[in-house]
Amino acid sequence: MPVQRVLCVAEKPAIARAVAQHLSGGSFQTIPIRGNQYVKNYVFEFNFGGPWGTCSVTMTSVIGHLTGLDFERQYKTWLSCPPAALFEAPVHESVAEDKVAIAANIQEQARRCKALFIWTDCDREGEHIGTEIRKQAKQGNARILVKRARFSNTEKAHVLNAARALIELDDLQANAVAARIELDLRIGAAFTRLQTLQLKPLSAALQDTIISYGSCQFPTLGFVVDRYLRVKNFKPETFWGLKVMYSRDDIKVNFLWKRVHLFDRAAVTVMLERCLVAKKAKVIKVSQKPTSKWRPLPLTTVDLQMMGSRYLRMDSQTIMKVAEGLYTKGFISYPRTETDQFDKAIDLKKLVEKQIPDGNWGQYARHLLDGGFKTPRAGRHNDQAHPPIHPICWVAPTALTTDEKKVYEFVVRRFLACCSEDAKGQSTEVEIQYGDEFFHAKGLLVLERNYLDVYVYDKWESSQQLPNFQMGELFEPTEAKIFDGKTTPPNYLTEPELIGLMDANGIGTDATMAEHIAKIKERQYVAVHSRGSGRNAVKELIPTRLGIALVEGYDDVFAGMPDSPSLSKPFLRKEMELRMREICAGMRTRQQVVQESLDMYREVFVHTQRRINKLKDACRRYLVEQAAS
Amino acid sequence: MSTPQAQIAAHLQNTKSLAVSPTWLNSFVSSSTALQRNIPLSALTQTALFRILASDFRDSLATGNPSSLLPVDIFDPTVQERRLQGPIPVQVLDIEDIGTSLWSQVEAIERVERGEAIRGREIVRTVNVGEDNEEGAAGANETGGASNGPHRLILQDAAGTRAVGIELVRVNGVALNKLPIGAKMVLRNATVARGMVLLTPEYATVLGGKIEGMDQAWKEGRKARLLARIAGTGEGQT
Repeated sequence: MPVQRVLCVAEKPAIARAVAQHLSGGSFQTIPIRGNQYVKNYVFEFNFGGPWGTCSVTMTSVIGHLTGLDFERQYKTWLSCPPAALFEAPVHESVAEDKVAIAANIQEQARRCKALFIWTDCDREGEHIGTEIRKQAKQGNARILVKRARFSNTEKAHVLNAARALIELDDLQANAVAARIELDLRIGAAFTRLQTLQLKPLSAALQDTIISYGSCQFPTLGFVVDRYLRVKNFKPETFWGLKVMYSRDDIKVNFLWKRVHLFDRAAVTVMLERCLVAKKAKVIKVSQKPTSKWRPLPLTTVDLQMMGSRYLRMDSQTIMKVAEGLYTKGFISYPRTETDQFDKAIDLKKLVEKQIPDGNWGQYARHLLDGGFKTPRAGRHNDQAHPPIHPICWVAPTALTTDEKKVYEFVVRRFLACCSEDAKGQSTEVEIQYGDEFFHAKGLLVLERNYLDVYVYDKWESSQQLPNFQMGELFEPTEAKIFDGKTTPPNYLTEPELIGLMDANGIGTDATMAEHIAKIKERQYVAVHSRGSGRNAVKELIPTRLGIALVEGYDDVFAGMPDSPSLSKPFLRKEMELRMREICAGMRTRQQVVQESLDMYREVFVHTQRRINKLKDACRRYLVEQAAS
Repeated sequence: MSTPQAQIAAHLQNTKSLAVSPTWLNSFVSSSTALQRNIPLSALTQTALFRILASDFRDSLATGNPSSLLPVDIFDPTVQERRLQGPIPVQVLDIEDIGTSLWSQVEAIERVERGEAIRGREIVRTVNVGEDNEEGAAGANETGGASNGPHRLILQDAAGTRAVGIELVRVNGVALNKLPIGAKMVLRNATVARGMVLLTPEYATVLGGKIEGMDQAWKEGRKARLLARIAGTGEGQT
């Protein structure tokens, strides 16, 4: 009996190669394809088990999405139709020009194969790319059987398991992506054309730019502008507080006021006087209790981006790029995940063991295996697709670039920290009543550093130790006085903060947030400035005049309209994201969601057109008048 | 048998420490009974209390008994400490949160104006949120709602004398958006230090009520007053 022929298609060439490597055990034939220098076909034999048995496999890949959505030719040029027409204009899906050769390869291979196994990344986009591949394969061979491999890293055993437990493609997720693509195209094109055509004539500075609109871009910009204006408009105010100091056993104990500070000097003065009149303070609470600093949760994408940009001095987009590279090479698990709990089936100790050869944390890994190991804490998120980000194998530092080393080290240290004991300490707290007021002092003694030894990004240090106090004891404080200070403005938004805001407000997915941030930089809606210098430098996002003008302009357009929030706010986008999820859950169809969302945005569009002068005024204000002064 | 006026007056005096002005009470009883005869006394008393809490104390309370009035020199900052035996009914003319900067209060007002509230890091829409309406509105009350204080109040007695009150210990019912202007309180044995009445739950009780017109005007002017104070010279207060 001749062996069956099977076609496997991955999302990227590197994954195809890695999977081929594992399935073939290292012996495969590499055949270049016509018309594309990156995609290769790898030919080998593999036993898929179950109904398939040993098959002759051709493993190939696409490079991301195969097809693109665009308007029909007559709507393509900027002045071909009123921008509002783009909400209804016919669109069609076609294979992108640079992907024609790849699509042809799939069609051709499919003709000779009985089955197609899809190896795209297991997330929404991957599911959609899977349907694109299926479409091409069916064009080559209408009767081809289609299955999908579920995998979240390219470690050998995991890949082999995935190959022997094939599942179905999830059309619901693919439909959600298809809906998103259509909405992004129509809404993005309509608003981009409208605002570019309307605003361009206002200033020479805008002559050669496209003033793009994106339903994620704008709320992202909105966060940056909102913070910027809060900083700019900030008014400092004076506050007053009480400070009590007491010397005992040569230790100066500073007691902090329970009220921290107040904004009324007269009131604070009276409170101080009543303390002084009372003369003696009374100890009302002495507590000494064990305390701990919790080890971190398993690593998610959002956390990787936030922590990474804070500690590694890389922007979120770079981090994601590097992490994907590490994943493709099989060093870490899939870096796009919302899951912060490890599945019980994962052999964590084995993963720890792999880190033993390392010169820096190898010893720590050994200590975990010698009894220090603790099951990681479980967070509350599980996307049911991927485990938290973790190292798959150990890599010699010499095999990595500088950036790769940083990200890999972070992923490993974080993983080892997850599998460690919490840091332990002893905290002492003394609370006193003095007059009508309450004060407290705290001391911390770190007893066991535990996970802190490997997770160098967290700080937890012993503070000054408190002398002994007895419950109920009375003493006369050495000093009690009023201090004053001034409120300070918030800082400009940093990238980790922005990611946190986007996450909390449903702007983008963990996979696309970094792209949206990069986009508003690229469009010159925001610029990056450094605050501080050297190792303590912090990168801040500051909107450009154009960025502020757009946000203020849209806010003006929608001012006083209780039922349509401004495009600079996250609400509309968040609603759209919820509908995507409803498609995934099978609660709504793609058509329903596209229609509803288009209706929603069309209304907003009509309103924007009607009050376009508000937008123009804002641009004039910032780009013409302010630029001149 | 005593008149309804006397019975109502006695009841309000005994339960709420309110000495009602006979003129006010007479006109209240005659206007109530003119519309409907035979109102049970308990209902009439309830209505009287409700009306008094919504009235201006300067119209509705008697000023004959000096022990239920603030001393006229109460503001005197040279007096380190004195006690007001009372009970003294007062009404709230102003309330401020002195634990929060004026600017952050302005920002909070602006968020409400934009129909937003903040839940952690999430910005939440509070207007026209469709089916989530109730939830949204509840969220708004929570977030745009009660201030932490301590609060600084301007209090006024039946004779019109004013005093500053500082919420030394949290008093139930005292918070921005919770205690309207014209709300009524009773002070008992309260301490006055350097001209400020120190409010604590033992010595100050909120009776409730408000003066609609004053409260409305106060709310409308609040943002402008905060902004004026921020812009204002120095720390000029009141």
